[in-house]
Amino acid sequence: MENNFFGEAKAVILGLGEFRVGTCPMGTIGLGSCIALILHDPRRSLGGLAHIMLPESHGSTDRPGKFADTAVSAVLEEMERLGSTKFSVTAIVVGGASMFEYSANSLNIGERNAAAVKDLLREQGIRIGHEETGGKVGRSVYFWPEGKGRLIIKRADGTCVEL
Amino acid sequence: MELNSIQLDALSEFGNIGAAHAATSLSQMLMSPIEMKVPEVQVVDIARMHSIIGNEISAMVVFQIQGEVADGGYIVVSMPRETVIQLTNQMLGTNDTGREINEMDQSAAIEIGNIMISAFLDATAELLGIVMLPSPPALAIDMAHAAFESIVAQMAGDVNDVLIFNTELVSEAPPVYGCIYLLPNTELMQQVSLMLERLMKPIP
Repeated sequence: MENNFFGEAKAVILGLGEFRVGTCPMGTIGLGSCIALILHDPRRSLGGLAHIMLPESHGSTDRPGKFADTAVSAVLEEMERLGSTKFSVTAIVVGGASMFEYSANSLNIGERNAAAVKDLLREQGIRIGHEETGGKVGRSVYFWPEGKGRLIIKRADGTCVEL
Repeated sequence: MELNSIQLDALSEFGNIGAAHAATSLSQMLMSPIEMKVPEVQVVDIARMHSIIGNEISAMVVFQIQGEVADGGYIVVSMPRETVIQLTNQMLGTNDTGREINEMDQSAAIEIGNIMISAFLDATAELLGIVMLPSPPALAIDMAHAAFESIVAQMAGDVNDVLIFNTELVSEAPPVYGCIYLLPNTELMQQVSLMLERLMKPIP
């Protein structure tokens, strides 16, 4: 699907299980139970985004962006390679919704995803600057790493926040 | 997941028969003809899901396939908001189209999904010679991609792609549009391939 939200050619939309570090605008559309983890280094105008699907990798390494444990370290390592440190980055955590009503089954994995990501950030000593997790709505996230960073979260119910 | 063209054909035919029965049941409920588009079968890398399933708001009724294959995958009926309201109006004899989705619409969507998918699974289970039952339905009225993500998260923990069968159902009067998605897991796909092999055997 075309996504012209950014109106910029170099913007990237990340699919399930992907991650990216860079200075270009990035985003994910239609986050349900998944988590968009953003690490941002304002001094370097550098950002990293991972579209995390599940909490634990159980040793699988082929798609580091897919699992919370591998994604946190993958994004952090990539940013450290470009000069950031644990102490210069702040995190933004969005997503982890429970999408289905009338359902007692295991489709609601969002909560576990959110908890796993936050635990990992705490272990690493990374400050969480903004968090919007849980609830029952899907969200789209757009992030511009330039300077202080700009974040837009568009919710499925039509509301929008901008930071 | 690597599938040869014969396996893809098998799944396409399998889904087609199921979808035809679902379309018939919808047509009977609406008392109007339903047109069914040519189905598509694709192996989709999870990272590319968003190029197939967008983020427009839809009502999605989701069922897990249960029965003899304990966890056969998922089957989804997806409809735009206007269709859900249209369907409720049709069934209740009301004609207020500009309103928001209410509780009545939600239970109508679930019920219609339930009838359609029961017809789908009944017909296809007979083909496979196994018992397939839908789980109790789960409903999401949200960005389509957000709901599919939650389904894929259940299916693709160990793999990086999912198999998606989809077909569109359209009626002109009343204006109704819907999609059926079938996401079989490996076990169910094996059953489908076996079925095809049986059918291809020359008659002794």
